[in-house]
Amino acid sequence: MPGTREGTMAEERYVMGLFRDDTCAARVVRDLPAQGFKVVRVHSPVPSHGLLDALQIKPSPVGWLTLIGGIIGFFSGFALAIFTATRWDIMVSGKPIVAWVPFVIVGFEFTILFAVIGNVIGLLLMMKLPSFKGLKYYDPRCSGDHYGVLAACGDGQQQSLADFFQAQGGEVQVFTD
Amino acid sequence: MSLTFAKIDQTVLDTLKPATRGYWVVIALLIMGILTGGACWVYQIFTGIGVGGQNIPVAWGTYLINFVFWVGIAHSGTLISAILHLFRAGWRNPIARAAETMTVFAVCTAGLYPFIHLGRVWMVYYMLPLPNQRTLWPNFQSPLMFDVVAISTYLTVSSLFWYTGMLPDLAVIRDRATGTRKKIFTYLSLGWTGAHEQWRHYVRVYLFFAALATPLVISVHSVVSWDFALGVVPGWHTTIFAPYFVAGAIHSGLAMVVTLMIPLRIIFNYKDIITDRVLEQVAKTIILTGLIVGFAYGTEIFIAWYSRNPVEMETFRWRIFGEQAFGFWIMVACNVAIPMLFFFKAIRTSVPWLLVISICVNIGMWFERYVIIAGSVAHDFLPSAWGTYRPTLIEFGIMLGSFSLFFFLFVLFVKHMPSVSMTEMKETVHARHQGGDHG
Amino acid sequence: MAENNATEIQAKSTAATIMAVLAICGVVTFLVCLWSDQPQRAWRAYLINFLLWSAMAQGGLLFSVVLQVTNARWGRGLRGVAEAFAAFFPISLLLFLVLFLGRDHIFPWLHMEDLHGKEVWLNVPFLFARDLAGLAFLYLFGMLYLLQSLQLKRICNNQAQRRNDLLQTRPGEIDAAAGTRRRMTTLGVLYIITYAFVLSLIGYDLVMSLDPHWISTLFGPYIFIKAFYLGIGGIIITAALLHLNAGHAFEVPSQEFHDMGKLFLAFCLVWADFFYVQLVVIWYGNIPEETVYVISRVGHAPWRTLAWAVFGVSFVLPFLVLINRRVKTMPRMMLALCGIVLIGLWLEHLLLVGPALDHGTARLNLGIPDLLITLGFCGLMGSAVSYMLKRYPELLISGEGRS
Repeated sequence: MPGTREGTMAEERYVMGLFRDDTCAARVVRDLPAQGFKVVRVHSPVPSHGLLDALQIKPSPVGWLTLIGGIIGFFSGFALAIFTATRWDIMVSGKPIVAWVPFVIVGFEFTILFAVIGNVIGLLLMMKLPSFKGLKYYDPRCSGDHYGVLAACGDGQQQSLADFFQAQGGEVQVFTD
Repeated sequence: MSLTFAKIDQTVLDTLKPATRGYWVVIALLIMGILTGGACWVYQIFTGIGVGGQNIPVAWGTYLINFVFWVGIAHSGTLISAILHLFRAGWRNPIARAAETMTVFAVCTAGLYPFIHLGRVWMVYYMLPLPNQRTLWPNFQSPLMFDVVAISTYLTVSSLFWYTGMLPDLAVIRDRATGTRKKIFTYLSLGWTGAHEQWRHYVRVYLFFAALATPLVISVHSVVSWDFALGVVPGWHTTIFAPYFVAGAIHSGLAMVVTLMIPLRIIFNYKDIITDRVLEQVAKTIILTGLIVGFAYGTEIFIAWYSRNPVEMETFRWRIFGEQAFGFWIMVACNVAIPMLFFFKAIRTSVPWLLVISICVNIGMWFERYVIIAGSVAHDFLPSAWGTYRPTLIEFGIMLGSFSLFFFLFVLFVKHMPSVSMTEMKETVHARHQGGDHG
Repeated sequence: MAENNATEIQAKSTAATIMAVLAICGVVTFLVCLWSDQPQRAWRAYLINFLLWSAMAQGGLLFSVVLQVTNARWGRGLRGVAEAFAAFFPISLLLFLVLFLGRDHIFPWLHMEDLHGKEVWLNVPFLFARDLAGLAFLYLFGMLYLLQSLQLKRICNNQAQRRNDLLQTRPGEIDAAAGTRRRMTTLGVLYIITYAFVLSLIGYDLVMSLDPHWISTLFGPYIFIKAFYLGIGGIIITAALLHLNAGHAFEVPSQEFHDMGKLFLAFCLVWADFFYVQLVVIWYGNIPEETVYVISRVGHAPWRTLAWAVFGVSFVLPFLVLINRRVKTMPRMMLALCGIVLIGLWLEHLLLVGPALDHGTARLNLGIPDLLITLGFCGLMGSAVSYMLKRYPELLISGEGRS
């Protein structure tokens, strides 16, 4: 029996419909606006192309941060190697002081390192992690085997929204805070 | 029995239940092994690097052999989790998490060895590019500095990749846990909710991780091989080393994956997840890497003969027929000949054979590093400079410590964290239901 | 529908005619050059083209073989195109035999006095015998693989036909299909192993030995990686041409172009890596016996400019272009890019053999005859592939059922 929680919030009430099948959930996502409800977000245990298509998601821009990181790394690697070599500008083993052949290795490794750091920064920035606010309107079944469609409605409409979800074959979780 | 999301979750979460007595016995034994190694190392720090067997002419002994061995093992973890992700090979999903874990802990273990074989450990900071009054900087033209850069990059990238991959799974545990455990995993999972906005970025980030880790894997073991190939010693100075070492690393790492997976799936009841077919795929890949390694052995010997260079020819003659030839023959038998048994389906689908052959490959790959590292310098240019190398008890103690450390970290991990990626397994099941070709 | 068929057939015949004309031009130019005062140039061009186009064919078939052996689920539409490259194999074998006639101009070690004992390996009868045997085995496995593949397509077509006619699939047919697939995998494994050995052997014998006192253990693998890079480029060029000209008969979904583009980028990087790996070891060791090879190609004019050109065209250009996601799905762009890279790799072959054959030259000695001979070889390859695709149109149909 899904529980309810007490609380107050301005006008919007949140109800989550939980579905076992992502095609069903995608259909619900497409139908909800017609019913006059707003889709807030959809939780899923695995990334689902069907759902992401239904939500009309644009590709993520995280790659730009990765690329910028990589470019910074490329130049930093060479810069570090060249700088340190020129501080001791005496020939060692007959190799030139600034030798690009071995410095390519340093440049390459730094490129990867900084690109990965850019990747992680992108991840944290774009997903705004760590953030625990999202857990407020969240059902633990969403990480198991259910797809949770969180929809917003006006104050008295929770029951009609819940009925809509149940008619589509899902379980319901009503948030009243 | 077909897998469902719920069954996957349940199987993996069952492994996190409080440990049995047997587990603690294993942990205790491994800690004793680590302490032995630690004691040997402390003894070496106080007495001097001479307590090891390395000397003139063989200045690099088991410390380097083990370093290369552990870095090598790390590589196939990244192969499985990153490279096979790019190739959309679904059979990687059940073992990806354990393989990534193996990578991180193997790099950690390997990373101890530069400290150990430095002797005067407190001077390790010389290798870091830190400003100082005399403007002394590390020489980035040195292969040892390439190592510092490459291994630290690899450790950082692997750890970040491993942790990022675990985020959805940590959320699963958080949602099922109670009390302190729930709190810990809430923080560890960074508030992951599986919302579509999060997945949108996550999928892309993971793809970039895989795409960046792939060239990294190849470059790191190439850099390790250049510790040897950039010198002029016969048996070391040869252009094939970089791809040869990378292939060898993957060979030994895949064997270690099999060695770890077989007990894991028995103890944790993973037979429906890490199926026989998955192990068979790993075995087939071992055939490929074994052939590459065998090809490299043959090429080196052929080119040594073709070159008509008396030093090269003598190096390889001694390697194959000399006093230490047992290393060479163990290497060839265990790395090339025995894995060819996997051509027979009966053998590659039989768990006992898989275990035995994978252990053989690990032994063979250890001896390959022995033959290359200790063997080449023992018998190089001038006959007056030829010598022998025999490892000492201290070295064996430290080796025992490193193996214990690796297994200790791994065993600790699998009991407290998800050793199979629930999310990726669910993706496999999801894709199967859709009947399409999903990642 | 009939209109489409007519245009397709016309397109195919035009292509075939062009290819045949090019081939004849090439042969004529070659013969003319031989009788001029510089037969050396003709044989140099011949060697470069023999190596380049044979490598493309060998690497092209390897693509289909690798997908078969790894049980891959992608690339179905392109496997037929890859298999069509095997049509060049018999031609390549004949071209190799013709090399025998030019041996005085191709192998500098025939005129060297002191080979330090290498004569036991570098002598004409042994070299030609082993290389011919190697190529013969490689091509045998390749052609057998191709035959099995065609048989499998025939079986699957029959099955599809029955399903369309609502007839039962005969149990014997399912067994036949499974058996054919097993044979294909076995032949595939044999092809892969032979490919590695034979292409390395060709690399050592026909390229590395031109500087008989130089060695590099990775040289053989470098050659077979380059061949795979060439093969993928060739498949992309052929697939793009077919996609753009053949209308509905052959359409490659943009996802597959994307995947091929990624594979092309991957092997661009692997090829460059295999080059760099040799360079860094030789540079660092600084042993004169080894560095002389690199210095004469990268340090001295005129080869120095050529080296940088190859680096820019075959590595930097594809790397920078292919980072962009969308480019890989545009057949025209990929066609142009792969074409340019192919020219770059021709120049790379010149860089490898040129300094050995034209020792101490001041100029590259490239001219129209080289271009015509190259187009001639291109014509031979094009004729072989288009003959194959015309004779066995089932190669262009993807989807042979699940294994």
